[in-house]
Amino acid sequence: MLAMPALRTVPARVVARQTLRKSTTRAASSSSSSTEATSSPFYTTLTASAATVVAIGSVAWYYHLYGREAFAMTPQEEGLHPTQYPWEHYRWVKTFDHQALRRGFQVYREVCSSCHSLKRIPYRSLVGTIATVDEMKALAEENEYDTEPNDEGEIEKRPGKLSDYIPSPYKNDEAARAANNGALPPDLSLMVKARHGGCNYIFSLLTGYPEEPPAGATVQSGLNFNPYFPGTGIAMARVLYDGLVEYEDGTPATASQMAKDVVEFLNWAAEPEMDNRKKMGMKVLTIGALLFALSVWVKRYKWSTVKTRQLVYNPPVGPKR
Amino acid sequence: MRPLASGAGPALRSWTKHSLPLPFSRIAPAIVTMPHRRPVSEYSPTSSFNSPFKGEEYSPTTKIPSFGKYMSKNSETSNRVFQYFMVGSMGLLAAAGAKATVQDFLVNMSASADVLAQAKVEVDLAAIPEGKNVIIKWRGKPVFIRHRTESEIKDARSVNVQSLRDPQADEDRVKKPEWLIMLGVCTHLGCVPIGEAGDYGGWFCPCHGSHYDVSGRVRRGPAPLNLEVPGYEFPTEESVLIG
Amino acid sequence: MAGIASGLFNSIFRRNYVFLSTVFLGAFAFEIAFDTTTDAIWNRINKGRQWKDIKHRYVQKPSEDEDDDDE
Repeated sequence: MLAMPALRTVPARVVARQTLRKSTTRAASSSSSSTEATSSPFYTTLTASAATVVAIGSVAWYYHLYGREAFAMTPQEEGLHPTQYPWEHYRWVKTFDHQALRRGFQVYREVCSSCHSLKRIPYRSLVGTIATVDEMKALAEENEYDTEPNDEGEIEKRPGKLSDYIPSPYKNDEAARAANNGALPPDLSLMVKARHGGCNYIFSLLTGYPEEPPAGATVQSGLNFNPYFPGTGIAMARVLYDGLVEYEDGTPATASQMAKDVVEFLNWAAEPEMDNRKKMGMKVLTIGALLFALSVWVKRYKWSTVKTRQLVYNPPVGPKR
Repeated sequence: MRPLASGAGPALRSWTKHSLPLPFSRIAPAIVTMPHRRPVSEYSPTSSFNSPFKGEEYSPTTKIPSFGKYMSKNSETSNRVFQYFMVGSMGLLAAAGAKATVQDFLVNMSASADVLAQAKVEVDLAAIPEGKNVIIKWRGKPVFIRHRTESEIKDARSVNVQSLRDPQADEDRVKKPEWLIMLGVCTHLGCVPIGEAGDYGGWFCPCHGSHYDVSGRVRRGPAPLNLEVPGYEFPTEESVLIG
Repeated sequence: MAGIASGLFNSIFRRNYVFLSTVFLGAFAFEIAFDTTTDAIWNRINKGRQWKDIKHRYVQKPSEDEDDDDE
């Protein structure tokens, strides 16, 4: 319907023919001039096909050389793909389960924090998300922090405040390596964002330690076998066993329950803004959809006068000749 | 000429095959492509313009079809109200969105949470005996906290306020009479005054010799204003929260 | 129907300044109403998951043990 008038208009035909005539004469000049009219479509098709082949071929060649990601490891060494779990907080309009975050923080404090730091999380950010002000003040005061230099330039120790960050188990990375056989326990603040697979990966890793390595697998001394860890040899041993912590809300502390809670807590640590982000996203999408519908209507309304217009040429009627 | 097929490729090819007369000149296509229902010979050689649309029999476009079934059944007023309503609602939503956007950008410029968390200092007052000064750091500036005695309070309140350079009653400078809390920055050129010194029993600035009384008000020297009092509150009996 | 329409037209749309101020004032009113509605929907979707839903379990405790007047 739309293409028909374009094909029927005169100027388009003129242009098409003129350009075609030029190309046919050029193509025909190499061959005999008498067969020009019959041989030209073949050459046109040939040229177009050749150009297409060259274009696609050069793109494919370039992609072959530079386009692909370089993988140093074989798929076996990449580790097992983690299972996709139906995380409730992954859904579009669901917040974190803050009761689970509270349990997860307990697991972090009682289990993970002996090796892993969480140094991007201050106590104040836990207030109002998983704990009350008094609880966090008491927790912060259990730790000592450096003061600013006093009058003599000495740095003293003071009890922690809400604005302080959660202390690291080791003074620095070197101390951490020295205490852990040369392996550095990574900081967990952004771990969910930092690892491919996110929550699924960490949950699978925590719960994926087999009783003993499968037959044929070689495990270096000092390492443990975990199929989900790239390279399968992980310095961290299995830590979560049933009943390791005692939850204050009475939830049975199975290994998978603890892993699930601590993973959700780590996801909160990596994305503390998620609850608000999703709420804002819901509002923005609603307003955006309404605005889109309205703007479509207003466009049709504004164009309706133009679209229904008919131009009529009414010539003055002169004397007939 | 053949009717054009729907695809452009076959159409173009049919051009080259059939409609090009062999010895063609540069202007030939323009002439050939003119609609053949009006051959060249029909044009009059004179220079005057003759409309090709003359005559009643050649007027297919002047027959205006009826648009009646597209017409709205509603009255003009309700249509107009509906149109204004739709346009107005779009403006309303856009204004609300723009306001929220601008507001978020402005809020973004205010102090971040970690700065705000450190902008307050809580001081334990139980450790400060009566008649003693304590200097703490708050936002990089010294803050004087003095536990005043009864006689000092009486002194500070017996001064004739109107005789001061910067008239201010002691009641306006403290929230609890025994606790005087103020910034330890001389209002002259920003030195830190010395406590329990000067002619008025308060503070003395060693740089240019400004004397402050036991309420932190300037009494002598070049300083133009009293020592500044920061915002503070007493969350409990035994502590003060500055900031 | 026509009476309502013409009444609306005469009261709001006829004068442009009235129309514009209705739009901009309505934007504020709409924002408040929209925020309230979406927050209510959000809280219903996430009932029991947010901190404010479980806060009472942990705030009650200190007030039973000691009479703390802050917070």
